[in-house]
Amino acid sequence: MRALLKLTVLVWMLMLVAGCAAPVAAPAAPAGDAAPAAGSDAAAPADLLADIQARGVLRISTDPAYPPQSELVADAQRPADTKCSGEERTASELTGFDIDVAAAIAAALGVEPCFVTPDWTLITGGSWAGRWDLSVGSMTITPERMTKLYFAQPYYTTPAAFFVHEANTTLAAPADLSGKKVGACAGCTYEFYLDGSLQIPGETIEFVVTDTEFTGYDTDTSALQDLALGDGVRLDGVLTALPTGAGFIANGNPLKQLGEPVYFEYLAPAIDKASPLDTTSFRAAVDAAVQALHADGTLKQLAEQYYGVDLANAAAAFDIAGLEQ
Amino acid sequence: MTAARQDSDDYDLTQQAGQKAFARHLVQQRRRRALWHGLQIALVWAIMFAVMGIGLSLLNVDFAYVLENTNFVLLGLGFTIGISLASILIASAIALVGALMRLSSNAIAQGLSGFYVSLFRGTPLLIQIYIIYLGLPQIGQQLTALGYPQIGGLFVLTAIQAGILALSLNYGAYMTEIFRAGIQSVAQGQWQAAQALGMKRFQTLRLVILPQAVRIIIPAIGNQFIAMQKDSSLVSIVGIWEVTYRASRFARKDSKFMEMFLLAAAIYWVLTILSEWIQGRLEARMAESEKRS
Repeated sequence: MRALLKLTVLVWMLMLVAGCAAPVAAPAAPAGDAAPAAGSDAAAPADLLADIQARGVLRISTDPAYPPQSELVADAQRPADTKCSGEERTASELTGFDIDVAAAIAAALGVEPCFVTPDWTLITGGSWAGRWDLSVGSMTITPERMTKLYFAQPYYTTPAAFFVHEANTTLAAPADLSGKKVGACAGCTYEFYLDGSLQIPGETIEFVVTDTEFTGYDTDTSALQDLALGDGVRLDGVLTALPTGAGFIANGNPLKQLGEPVYFEYLAPAIDKASPLDTTSFRAAVDAAVQALHADGTLKQLAEQYYGVDLANAAAAFDIAGLEQ
Repeated sequence: MTAARQDSDDYDLTQQAGQKAFARHLVQQRRRRALWHGLQIALVWAIMFAVMGIGLSLLNVDFAYVLENTNFVLLGLGFTIGISLASILIASAIALVGALMRLSSNAIAQGLSGFYVSLFRGTPLLIQIYIIYLGLPQIGQQLTALGYPQIGGLFVLTAIQAGILALSLNYGAYMTEIFRAGIQSVAQGQWQAAQALGMKRFQTLRLVILPQAVRIIIPAIGNQFIAMQKDSSLVSIVGIWEVTYRASRFARKDSKFMEMFLLAAAIYWVLTILSEWIQGRLEARMAESEKRS
């Protein structure tokens, strides 16, 4: 009986270990690959940038659920000479604005981009355990995310702009909407702008529109549809993302943009704060790469290609050094 | 019965030839009835398919789009089947050990196994996948920081490893109960008889009890495997490109959600029908010893 019990416990332990190093039917990355290569000198973690350049691969997370930022390619061919593992995806298997930007950053570092596709919550939560190096996922810089992630130089922005009905002639600038009926999606940054509580890291916001009669909607589109019913019928104006409003107008709805964007949300590459390797030089390299892509016009051109508008412009001026992180 | 009695009037049962002919007649009659019964079932299926077809035609689904992208989703079948197979094998091993511990008289073994079953049956599989994928590496990093990088590295699982581990542990817990029931279904007298023959407890288990328990366990494992093929879709959250991941992410491309979900559903269904067929053959094989020859 004792022998049986001992055997049982032993097999049990073996199972757990076997489970950890599970043999996999499909091609899989070796488990040791993701483990820190720190060796015995645990006090000084190895440099992430040096690690990336040594393996010749930059691992980037993306969730291909959000066209045109990131989407799947139907009949993709994997290049035969790729260094990406079986669990990773090559740049040819995905397409979109984020994917092009990620590939351009990898090119600047002189390595091949390989993509992993975990759920969005797993990306924004941090603690990536060295499974991937960088997120290029149109992620807005927020104070909450800054507790888990480092942000690099933003590569584009989502401008927030007011829209009014085409027939309106009395409103000339966003400030004229103060005290009027304004709609936006509930719980979004737009609502916080209208109630004067919005804070965006690295940006000083001027609240030019105050004391509105606010209506919250489940989505931006519902608010725009209510505005399209007629000038002042249900709403006098809507605050939403510039591309959202522009797209709604492009679909033939009688709206127009009111003045310049009132603030920008900055979308930036992110790096894990809890990385097992030292990220200092890697962060500097990503900042430099994005700044160079701004300077040579690549990002402006890509933004115009995917969104029809230059959304990169304001991101180039963002002071990443001034962002306390 | 009454029909058979009336039929017998046509045969001269006092003669051997007549008896044989009547026997043939009865066999043929049984075959005809089985065939008719089968046809009726097939007819019900056909009607259900027709009803489903009408429902689908009301859905406004672009079937050309479905056909066009079937290959892309089918490419995920390797992961779906591979992960399910690996997980059911590991889960079976865990369940055997768990059941033996549960049935042992040792308090530590009983406690460990009971705790394991309670924990993994008591929490959702989806959350187990998140915790194993997200949580284990954090423990690993602490261990590495404490100066055990070899052990710490073991905790950093790839997406596939984390998925297989979560599925194995979850199904292992349910299957522990199946294995326990299977072992307990073997009459207590078998243990006593083996003991009387001078067999040790482990010998009894290996040579007498398990071979009999397996007949009950195997069909149940098949059932679990069929369920697991569908539950393996949950590992899509860690970014494995299996059937569900491919279907759901591709759907975003052209906003063809219903098309892609129906396609994924059809693939799983066909896979299940194939598995059921294999399970049926396995069960027939297991029942062989019960048959009168």
